[in-house]
Amino acid sequence: MIAIDFAFPLANGLHARPASLMQEACLPFTASCRFCNLRNGRHANARSVLELVASDTAAHDPCRLEIRGVDETKAGRSLSAFLREVLPHADDDLPPPAAATIQAAWLPPVFRNRADSVLPGRALSSGIGMARALVLQKKSAAPRGFAAGKKDAEKELRLFQDACREAEAEWRSQAAAAKNASAAAIMKAHLAMISDPGFRERIAGLISGKKMAAGTAISKTTATFTRTLRCSASAYLRERAGDLDDIADRLYEKLYRRPTPGSPRPGPSQPAHKGQRPGSPHVVVADGLTPSELLALDRRRLRGLVLGEVGLTSHTAILARAFAISAVALPAAALKKISEGEELTVDGQRGLVCRGSKPALKRYYRLETRKLRLHAARLADLKERPAQTRDGLRVEIAANIGGSEELAGAWRSGAEAIGLFRTETLFLERDTAPDEDEQFAAYRQAAISAKGRPVIIRTLDIGGDKPLPYLILPQEANPFLGYRAVRFYAEQPELVKSQLRAILRAARHGNLKIMVPMVSAMEEVHLLRRLLAEAGAELRERKIPHADNIEVGIMVETPAAALFVDQLSREADFFSVGSNDLLQYFLAVDRGSARLGELYDPLHPAFLRLLFQAAGQARKAKRWLGICGEMAANPEYLPLIIGLGFDELSMAAPAIPAVKERIARLDSGACRALLNQALFCASAKEVARMLGEFNGRGETMEVIAAELIRLDSLSRSADEAIKELCDLLELGGRVRNAHELEEAVWKREETSATDLGLGFALPHGKAATVRTSSVAFLRLRRPMRWGGKNSAPVQAVLMIAIPATAKGEEHLKLIARLSRRLMHEDFREELLSLRDTNGVLAALRQCLRES
Amino acid sequence: MKIVAVTACPTGIAHTYMAAEQLEKTARQLGHQIKVETQGAMGIENELSREDINTAELVIFAADIAVQNRERFANLKILEVAVQDAIKNPAALFSRLAE
Repeated sequence: MIAIDFAFPLANGLHARPASLMQEACLPFTASCRFCNLRNGRHANARSVLELVASDTAAHDPCRLEIRGVDETKAGRSLSAFLREVLPHADDDLPPPAAATIQAAWLPPVFRNRADSVLPGRALSSGIGMARALVLQKKSAAPRGFAAGKKDAEKELRLFQDACREAEAEWRSQAAAAKNASAAAIMKAHLAMISDPGFRERIAGLISGKKMAAGTAISKTTATFTRTLRCSASAYLRERAGDLDDIADRLYEKLYRRPTPGSPRPGPSQPAHKGQRPGSPHVVVADGLTPSELLALDRRRLRGLVLGEVGLTSHTAILARAFAISAVALPAAALKKISEGEELTVDGQRGLVCRGSKPALKRYYRLETRKLRLHAARLADLKERPAQTRDGLRVEIAANIGGSEELAGAWRSGAEAIGLFRTETLFLERDTAPDEDEQFAAYRQAAISAKGRPVIIRTLDIGGDKPLPYLILPQEANPFLGYRAVRFYAEQPELVKSQLRAILRAARHGNLKIMVPMVSAMEEVHLLRRLLAEAGAELRERKIPHADNIEVGIMVETPAAALFVDQLSREADFFSVGSNDLLQYFLAVDRGSARLGELYDPLHPAFLRLLFQAAGQARKAKRWLGICGEMAANPEYLPLIIGLGFDELSMAAPAIPAVKERIARLDSGACRALLNQALFCASAKEVARMLGEFNGRGETMEVIAAELIRLDSLSRSADEAIKELCDLLELGGRVRNAHELEEAVWKREETSATDLGLGFALPHGKAATVRTSSVAFLRLRRPMRWGGKNSAPVQAVLMIAIPATAKGEEHLKLIARLSRRLMHEDFREELLSLRDTNGVLAALRQCLRES
Repeated sequence: MKIVAVTACPTGIAHTYMAAEQLEKTARQLGHQIKVETQGAMGIENELSREDINTAELVIFAADIAVQNRERFANLKILEVAVQDAIKNPAALFSRLAE
């Protein structure tokens, strides 16, 4: 028997997608593969997606894969490669739920005392959606009429197999037709579950052994697995129970010819309700909505979703985020209050649902929608534009992909290049190597879709641990340090040359570059150059059109390469740091090991020194240097990455927008200064603390800016004016979260109103969410009453936002001076009468500058 | 009249200083002599000395929170008002001094 120990690498635990990958990885072998979770003692057949999922495996759980059988050696090597290379990337394109986790705790006054119309819940997908309610009734869990009596096993079995086949065909075509990667992945996960031996054999067993009706067997089996899942410690796995219901539903439908779920559900709730024409926009309200049902809805008319108790990571919620439909989960009692056809606002920002059409709330949400629209426009703008720091330093932002099906998503996220195209998926899990033409097709597709943008293709990175039937590599005690990647190229020239020929041919169709993995010596680059020259000569001989020149870069993964950039530059056109492996080799820490987790820290000052050296050598040699490891994707690390002077950052596509936005706010000089300090820290903890302070402090910006001034505000109440100002500050990058500032300002306001009785109000707040002390100014089209009926009319509102940590700084002095100036009528008159934004800006600036 | 004053508001960001400005401005207009200590986010500024206090006829507290080092004014007549009063209607406040 062969046993492989590992720590489970994915944050969301072992859910359907990684489980189906694991199942696929086991399929080519005859050996039995048993998955053991050493934390909870559960076992699973690694060929059963359901049993794997039911093992309730969470991130970092110590796990073991036991392989027994005639081909166990081969299977062991293949699976250990799978665990190291493929599994950790299984969730790379999962949309992050982070933005949608805000809990409705504090609410501004406009929401208060409206218990019936404001329903607090949990945000599942961000955004604001307004439309009339379309209530979908919950179906009964399983159809009736098949439960009783013994059945003809053969007939039932046939019915069951037919139903599975039909359902599979439907999902397959849905997966192929899905334009959205998440939707396709979910359909594929469903496919894996339904062909799961643990699921299918159990049902078949019940039918033939107990003479059950197919429907009964399905509902019994589903119930067994659902029970296990619902007891899981991981919220993510608990939410997978909904997928099983979805699968069972589809099977019942095929067995008993019930109507397709989701697309018009039967019942009185279909569009014939008052005040709503069929075809008008709506918010769908449903207690349980399966992924299939969501996919079947008409998304052009769908403005929002109000669901029952659904988790953030349920596939339904993931799909809502993938399609950018705002969604909120409500407790059952609140859900029942909503009636067909009433006006709803789904607030996926705060996690609540508002019923009815109260003008004050409508006006509030108009402001929120405007802010979201402006923010989206800015992100879209950033996406279109090349990334650069505040002081104009260009950094190229690229995407890592594992196959050509990920290209579209990468470009959509705003990638300026493909910084790493992993080609292993073309080679794994097959009996013969992909031929040159097959590879050519894949690379050509990448070249064309890039429209001139660079695509960096990494040559074969398979190790002595990955037994491919067509590539026999020796078994070694430590394959991580063994005969892998570029190290076997000398013995497998034909395999490598077929890849190089395919790349050279494809390079005629776009801007392709080659990157060599695992280089530690100059000879390896010489070898690659030689193979490349031969590949070119062979194509010339065969008279096949190809590119004559192609850039060759080195993936810096070994400490040797990192310290040898100056010499390697003679043979390499560029370098890209694979920070994950480089860190593991540099610190001698296995990144999969559960016990060493804390030691594996990219903020180790020695590691920063290594990168600093490599970057310096690359600059001197006039070669560009990129980074394509996880370190590049973390917005918190960016000040150090920018400080190090990387020319290109490559990451999983979903990370791109946040990284671009953060870069735009950084000053490269300040980043270099920070790095210089970090290089001399005594520990990773110290670096982390310094970095945290740097990120928390934010950027020193001038107190006032043109984008913080609005002279034509339509706000009619303190609620609106405060919201509008907080939004201006958030859009201006002064405040992380406008809602949090709003809370601080209102808490201050509630101790005593801040209108001065002089036509001005001066709301202000001190909060951790404020990045840099700032002032925002609003002039109202129509004077308003700030507080009660007797308060004097307010014509202008000046808001002051101060970081929680501010103590006696220059900014506070400036703001104190501004406050004093407001006591002078001439200054107030000026602010009220100046015609344009620039005039007001100049007046405020002058007042802030006077000493 | 010679007056000293202390201003202090909950966050100490704006109103402390607005009240101080308002008191100084109005006192000047009315021909009084005034010195205002601010207790705000930047700590105590323009601190009143023992001599300031000893020579003053009266102290104004325009404060929504407790005044720090209040014991300094033990022998002085104190007029306590809300910060808002000093900002919105300083003239009315000064007319109360005559009483």
